[in-house]
Amino acid sequence: MTSRYVELHAASAFSFLEGASQPEDLIERAVELEMPAMALLDRNGVYGSARFHTSAKRNCVRAHVGAEVAVSSLGPRLTPHAWLPHQHIPEHARIPLLCESREGYQNLCQLITRFKLRESAKGEGSAVLDDLREYASGLICLTGGDEGPLASALVSGGEDAGRQIVEQLVNIYGRQSVYVELQRHGEREQEWRNQAALRIACSLHLPVIATNGVRYARAHEREVLDVFTSIRNHINLDRAGRLLSLNSQRHIRPAAQMTQLFRDVPGAIETTADLSERLQFELSDLGYAFPRYPVPDGETMDSFLGKRVAEGVARRYGQKTSDLLERAKKQMEHELKLIAKLGFAGYFLIVWDIVQFCKRNDILIQGRGSAANSAVCYALEITAVDPVGMDLLFERFLSESRGEWPDIDLDLPSEEKREQAIQYVYQRYGVLGAAMTANVICYRGRSAAREVGKALGFDQESLGRLSSLVGHFEWKGPTDTMAHSFQHAGFDLKHPRIAKYLDLCMRIQDLPRHLGQHSGGMVICQGQLNSVVPLERASMPGRTIVQWDKEDCADLGIIKVDLLGLGMMAVLKDCLELIPQHYGERVDLAQLPEDEEVYLTLQKADTVGMFQVESRAQMASLPRNKPDRFYDLVVQVAIIRPGPIVGKMMHPYMRRRQKKEPVSYPHPSLEPVLKRTLGVPLFQEQLLRIAMTVANFSGAEAEELRRAVGMRRSWERMKNLEGKLRAGMTANGIGPKVQETIIENISSFALYGFPESHAASFALLAYASAYFKVKYLAAFTCAILNNQPMGFYMPAVLVKDAQRHGLRVKPIDVQISRWACTIEHESDGALSMRLGLGYAKGLRKRAGDALVVERISRGAFHSAEDLTLRVPGLSRKELTLLARVGAMNSIEGVSHRRDALWQVDRAGRLEGPLLRQQSEWLREDSAGLPLEQMTTSERLVADYAGTGLTVGRHPMHYRRSELRRQHVLSASELRRCRDGEIVRAAGCVIARQRPGTAKGFIFISMEDETGIANVIVTPDLYERQRLVVTRSKFLIAEGPLQNQDGVIHVKAINLIELSDHDLRTSSHDFH
Amino acid sequence: MSRPIEQFACVYAQEFPVQALLRLRPELRGGPCAVLEGTPPSQQVCSCNTSALDLGVEHGMTPVELETIPSVIALARSALEEVSTRTALLECIGSFSPSLEELTDDGAFVCVADISGTERLHGQPTSLARALIDRMHVLGVYASVATTGNFHAAVCLARGMPPSDRVGIVPQGQEASALAPLPLRVLGLDPERAETFELWGIKTLGALASLPEEPLIARVGQDGKRLRQLARGTAPHLFVPIEPPFALDEFIELDSPVELLESLLFVLGALLGQLIVRAANRALALAAVTATLALEGGGTHSRTVRPALPSNDKRLWIKLLHMDLEMHPPGAAVLSLRLAAEPGRTAKVQLGLFSPQLPDATRLDVTLARIRAVVGEENVGSPVLNDTHRPGDFTMQPFKVAAQQERQSSVGCVVTPLRQLRPPEDVTVIVREHDLLAFFFRHRRYEVERAFGPWLGSGDWWSSARWGTQSWDVVARHPDGSLICGCLVRDVVQSRWQMAGLYD
Repeated sequence: MTSRYVELHAASAFSFLEGASQPEDLIERAVELEMPAMALLDRNGVYGSARFHTSAKRNCVRAHVGAEVAVSSLGPRLTPHAWLPHQHIPEHARIPLLCESREGYQNLCQLITRFKLRESAKGEGSAVLDDLREYASGLICLTGGDEGPLASALVSGGEDAGRQIVEQLVNIYGRQSVYVELQRHGEREQEWRNQAALRIACSLHLPVIATNGVRYARAHEREVLDVFTSIRNHINLDRAGRLLSLNSQRHIRPAAQMTQLFRDVPGAIETTADLSERLQFELSDLGYAFPRYPVPDGETMDSFLGKRVAEGVARRYGQKTSDLLERAKKQMEHELKLIAKLGFAGYFLIVWDIVQFCKRNDILIQGRGSAANSAVCYALEITAVDPVGMDLLFERFLSESRGEWPDIDLDLPSEEKREQAIQYVYQRYGVLGAAMTANVICYRGRSAAREVGKALGFDQESLGRLSSLVGHFEWKGPTDTMAHSFQHAGFDLKHPRIAKYLDLCMRIQDLPRHLGQHSGGMVICQGQLNSVVPLERASMPGRTIVQWDKEDCADLGIIKVDLLGLGMMAVLKDCLELIPQHYGERVDLAQLPEDEEVYLTLQKADTVGMFQVESRAQMASLPRNKPDRFYDLVVQVAIIRPGPIVGKMMHPYMRRRQKKEPVSYPHPSLEPVLKRTLGVPLFQEQLLRIAMTVANFSGAEAEELRRAVGMRRSWERMKNLEGKLRAGMTANGIGPKVQETIIENISSFALYGFPESHAASFALLAYASAYFKVKYLAAFTCAILNNQPMGFYMPAVLVKDAQRHGLRVKPIDVQISRWACTIEHESDGALSMRLGLGYAKGLRKRAGDALVVERISRGAFHSAEDLTLRVPGLSRKELTLLARVGAMNSIEGVSHRRDALWQVDRAGRLEGPLLRQQSEWLREDSAGLPLEQMTTSERLVADYAGTGLTVGRHPMHYRRSELRRQHVLSASELRRCRDGEIVRAAGCVIARQRPGTAKGFIFISMEDETGIANVIVTPDLYERQRLVVTRSKFLIAEGPLQNQDGVIHVKAINLIELSDHDLRTSSHDFH
Repeated sequence: MSRPIEQFACVYAQEFPVQALLRLRPELRGGPCAVLEGTPPSQQVCSCNTSALDLGVEHGMTPVELETIPSVIALARSALEEVSTRTALLECIGSFSPSLEELTDDGAFVCVADISGTERLHGQPTSLARALIDRMHVLGVYASVATTGNFHAAVCLARGMPPSDRVGIVPQGQEASALAPLPLRVLGLDPERAETFELWGIKTLGALASLPEEPLIARVGQDGKRLRQLARGTAPHLFVPIEPPFALDEFIELDSPVELLESLLFVLGALLGQLIVRAANRALALAAVTATLALEGGGTHSRTVRPALPSNDKRLWIKLLHMDLEMHPPGAAVLSLRLAAEPGRTAKVQLGLFSPQLPDATRLDVTLARIRAVVGEENVGSPVLNDTHRPGDFTMQPFKVAAQQERQSSVGCVVTPLRQLRPPEDVTVIVREHDLLAFFFRHRRYEVERAFGPWLGSGDWWSSARWGTQSWDVVARHPDGSLICGCLVRDVVQSRWQMAGLYD
C-alpha cells in the first residue's frame, strides 16, 4: 500500500532561531520523499511562506499556509519538570493554525497583525482567546506538539486540564476544524501525553492527526537548531543543557516511516492526506488588489489620470517642437490605453499623489528605473527624462502580457525629507493600509563566525580577531575562504572543535537571523493590507513592516513603491538653495545648459564627488569615452557596470568611440537600434528592440525574452523563445551565422544589461552634480560635506580636492562656525567654505546648537572660561575636542591649540560659586602658559583624529623633500611620465577596491598634495603583501607606469608601508 | 639624632613568565622561547625572551601564528613556577635587606629594597647592585637594578632603563635630572590621564616636572601633585615592607626510612601539635591538612584531609589522617614528611536550649571518613542531577543542611518504580528487522513479549563527549515462566547493549 502522508506541521528557519532549514530546503526534501504537499507553520508569522510557495510551485508540490500562533490565554508552553535542573524561560503555548480558504488566510493575517501591533515596540506578542474567536473562520486548528497548549496542560493539570484545552479550541474553531495532533520523536514523556491525547480525542469524537513537528529538513540539521537554541538563549552549548533537543527526530520523515510509527493509531496518517485536500488555499490566491485612488465625483480613475497627463503634456512639451508634441501625444494615448486596459490607473495616481506631496512640501523627488521609459510618468512629473525625446522603449516598463505590476522607484533626499514622504503615505493610507517591506537579515561570514563561536564557547578576543578577518570583499579569491580566515586568525583547523566550528559557520550561512526594515520599499493597500500579509512593528518608532521582503512581494504580485534615499538628491537640493543665496544666480535643475567646461572636466576624469562618475573605474574610462554631450554620459553611467564588463561590451564600445575600430552592425536592419551605442548593444531596451526588429517580436514578447534570459532557471522557457526568435529571423531572411551572433549578443548581456531609462535618470543627476561642482564649487562642496556619508570618497578627500580646485576651506571656529558647513564671502569677493561644528567628531548636536544659539544671542566668547560658563551643555571632553582641533584659537588669550587645551582643562573644573566670588585668588598668570605649541605632525594628528580631515596642507606635502630624495614622484609628476617607465609613487590610501569583475586584482587610489594616483595590485602581490595592501594608511608603490589614453596607473611590483606618525586617516575599502 | 639617608634599590625583571620557566631549564635559555597562556585552543603568547622577540614573536600571538616562526619553543605558563621563582627572588633580595616591598605586575617582577645603612655590609650601592644582579643571575633570572634616594624614582628608573644597562645608580639629589628623559609610561598612568598628557604634548618626566604645580592641580586634581612629584623624584613613600607569607608548613626528614604506619603516627602527632599551636596563636584552627610523604626510591605520596569544620583537636586529626593513610597507604618506606595546613576560623556552634541534640560534628566526620574509606571519596555526598539530557548524569555534592525541605509532587500520572542498575549490566540481544526477539541477562535467556521504544537520545555532538542511546522498555519471559520487566539500552556510539534498570 502506498502511504499517503503529508507533513502538516513544519517550521523553517523563518521561525527565527527555532527552525534550521530554508523553506526551499524543506520543499526539496519533500520532492525527494515524493510528498505531494506540505504545510509551513512558522512562529507567529508567514515570513517564509512566500518563498515556500514559490519553491513549491516550481516543484509541483502544494504549499499549505499557516502559522504557529502564541496564545497567552492558553497557558505557558511545556518546560521540563521543576525537579529537573533546566533553564527554560516561560513562553506562551502556540497553536498551529492552517488556512483552509482565502478567508482563513485573511483571518490569520489579521489575527497576527492584531497582536503584533498591540505591542508598543518590535516584539513577538501573543494573541488572546477573543482574538482567536474573532478571526476563527476558515482556519483549521491542531492541538500542537511540545510547543502546543495540550502538552503543557496534560503535564501541569493532567488529562482533565488537557480535555478543557481541547474543548476550548473546539468552542472557537468548531468540531470540524480541530484535530488532535500526535507527534512521535522517540521520547517517553511524549508517548504518555500521546496516549492521553488519544483518549481525549476519542471522548470528544475528534479526528487524530500525525505530524512530525518538523524543525529541519534532514536529521543532521539538528546541530544547526541546537546552535540556534544556544544563540537564542544567550548561552553556550556546553551550558545549554535541557534547552537543546533531546534527539534529531524532528526532520521530514518519509511516509513509510511515519506509517510504521503510527501503525497503532488507525487513520492518523490518512487524515493528513484528507486534511491536505481540504486545505484549498494557496498563496497564488492571495486576493490582493491595488487600492483605488479617490477621484472627484463624475470622474473615473482613468479619466482623472487622462486629465492629469494632458496637463503634463502641455507643461512638458508645450514649448517643444510640434513634431515632438505630436509624438508625445501619440505615445501618451498608447500608454493610457494600456494602463486603462490593465487597470493600473490607481497606481499611477497614487505615485503622482506622493510626487505632488513632495513638490508641495519642497522635497526634491525624481523617479528612476524603468519608469523613465514611460511618457505618462514624465508627464506626471514622476520622472525627469523625456522618453519620447530620447526614444526610450515603453514596453520595458509595462507590457500587456507580463501579468505583473509596474515598478516605480522614487529618489528622495535622505533622512528627514524621505521620512516626511514615508509618513505622508502612512497617514494617507492608514496604519493598516501601508507598510514598509521587510529586509531579511541573514547570517553572513562575520555574524556566523561570531555567533557560532560564542555558542561553542570561544573567547571574545579570538572571535573579534576572526570576524575582523572574515572577508567582506566583492571578489573572492581561492584563498578567501572561511577556512583561510580561520587560519589567519590563528585557529588550528586540525583541532576537532575548530573543525566543527568552521563546519557550522558554513552551514548557517544565509539562514535568516531576524527581520529588518527595507530602506524604502512601501507596500500600499488601502485599509486592508493586514488581510494580505501580517504587519508588525519595526524597531524604528512609527514604522510598520510586512512579513515579506521585496522579492517575496514581487513574486506574489504585490505592488510596491520604492521611496529611496539618495544622498546626491539632498546635495542638489542644498545647492539649489545655496547658489541663489551666495552667487545671486537662479538655477533650474530641469533646464541646466549643456556646458563645454563641464564636459572638459568630465573628460579629464576630474570627477571627485560627482554622482556615479567618481569611482576609480569611471575615472579610468572617462578619458577614453570623452563625453561631450548628454547621451555620452548616459552611456558612461551604464557602461562601468559588471554587466557590460562581463559581457565584454565595454572594450568594443570604447575602441569604437576612440575610432580605433570601425562601427559595424550584426545586421543592417539593426542600425537604427544600435546606432546610438556605435553598434554595441549596451541597454536592455536595445535587446527588446533587436528582438522586435529581427524576429518581429511584439513589445510584450520581447520583454518576456529579456526576463527569460535574466532568469537562470527558466531554460525551458528560454528554449521556446529562442526557437521563436530563430524562426522570426529566418522569416526575415537573416542567415544562420548572423542569427548565431545576435543570439549570443542577447544571451551574453541580457543577464546584466542596464536599463537605458535608469541610466538616463542617473545621468541627469550626474550631469547636475558635475555642473554644480564646476560652476559653483563652494556651494557644491558645502552641500556635499553637509550630506555625508555619501559617495565614494571620505570628506578629507573631498576637501583636498576642493582646495586643489582653488576653494579656500577654513577650519572650525567656535566664534564663527555653525553646525553645518557654511559659505563665507572674502574681502576680495571670493567665496570660501567654513567647516561646521558637526565635523568635530564626538561633539553632540545638542551641545553644538547650544553654542551657536548662545553666540548669536549674546555675541562672541571672550575666553575659554566664558565659553564654558555660557554653554554649560558642553562637556569637558567636548571642550577638549574643540581646543584640540583648533576651534578655539580665535578666542582672546588663546594663541595656539595647546593654550586652548590648558585653558579648557582649567575651565572644565570650575570651583563652586562661593569660591568663585574670590576671583582674585583663582586668577592664573596668563602670561605663563606652560605648554608648547603643537608641531606640524601633531597638528595633523589632531586634525585627523578630531575631524577626520585637515584644512591645512596635505600630510604628504611635509614629506615631499624626503620622498624626492627617494625618487618618489607626485601624482601630477606621474602624468608626465612615459608608458612603461618604472616609477615610484606614494600617497595616502583613500580607496581600495577589489571588483568582482577584476579577477582578484586590487585597485588602490592614493592621494597626495597634487592629486590622486592609481595603483594596480596583482593577486600574486596581494598574496605576498596582504597586510601592507589591506592595512597601510600611507604607501609607496613601485612598478611600471601604464599611461594609456591619458589613463594613468602604477602597476605595482613592490609595496612599502610609509610610517604614518599615528595618523588615523580612513579609506573606503572594497566596494 | 639626624635621620639616616634613605637609599632604595629597585630590582626589575621583565618578561617574568618566560624567565621563571627558563630558570629551571638552562638548556633552553640560548634559543627563542615563548610562553603561552590560556586553555587550548584559545592560547596566546604572554611572554617571550629576546631571541624570540628578534625573530618577530609578539605578545598575543596564537599557537598557529607562532608555528609560522620556525625554531621558537612554546612553553605553557606555570603559575607555580612563577611563585617559586618569586619566592626565591624575594629570599635572594631579602638577604641584602630585610625591608622589601613588592610591586610585581603580570608581566614583570618588581621589588624595592630599602638599602639605607647597608654600606658597611655590602659596600657602595653600585657594588650592592652588581652583587644583587650576579646572585639573581645564578638563580637564572636576568634583572636590572636602579638605586636612588627616592623609592618611586628607583622604580621609574628601573622601568625606564634600557635593557643593556643592568645597573643605574643615581646619587641623592640628582633624581630629577636622571628621570627627566624617561618616557611617561614608566609612571604606569591610566589611559585617560595618559591621553591628557599626550594632548598637552608632555612626553617625558622632565616635561611633566616642569609644569607649574598649582595650575596642574587645578586641572588634574591632587593626583597632578603626586605625578609631578614622581616626575621630579620627590614623591614621598610610606614603605610597607612585606611580611613573609604565613604558611602553616612543617617538614621533617626522618632519620631512617619508616615502613610502619603506626611508627609514623608519633612523628605525625608532633608535627600536628606544632601546627595546632601556631594556628591557635592566631586564633585559627586547621581547616585542611596535606601530608606529603617523600618515598624511598623517589616519588612522593600526598594526602589531604578536610573535615566538615575546622578543628584544633589533635586526636581527631590523628584519627582522620590515620584512617586516610590506612585507606591510601604509601607504596614504599617514607623518607620525609611534610605537613601543610590550611588555616580556618575556629568552629563555634551555638546550641539552642530546646533544640534536639545533634550528633557531634567531629564524630560525624569520623564516620563519614570511614564510609569514604570503604566506598571511595567520589561516592559520598548527595547526588544532584545535572542540566543535560545525558541519561543518568549527576554529580555528588558534599552533604549540607537544606534551609527548608522542598516537597515536589507530580500530577496526573502513575509512576512505575524503576530500579536503576549501577553500573548497567551488559546483555546480549537478538534483533530481527528492528524488533527485539530475545536477550541474555545474568546467564538466562529471555524471550521478549512486548517492547516499547526505541526511546532516542543524543547530545554533546560538538565535543568528544558525544553520546547517543536507544532504549526499550521490555516485558520478557524466561522459559521457566518467570517474567522480567526492564529497560534495555543500546549505546549507539559504542554499539553496546545493556540492561539499565528493572521495573518493579
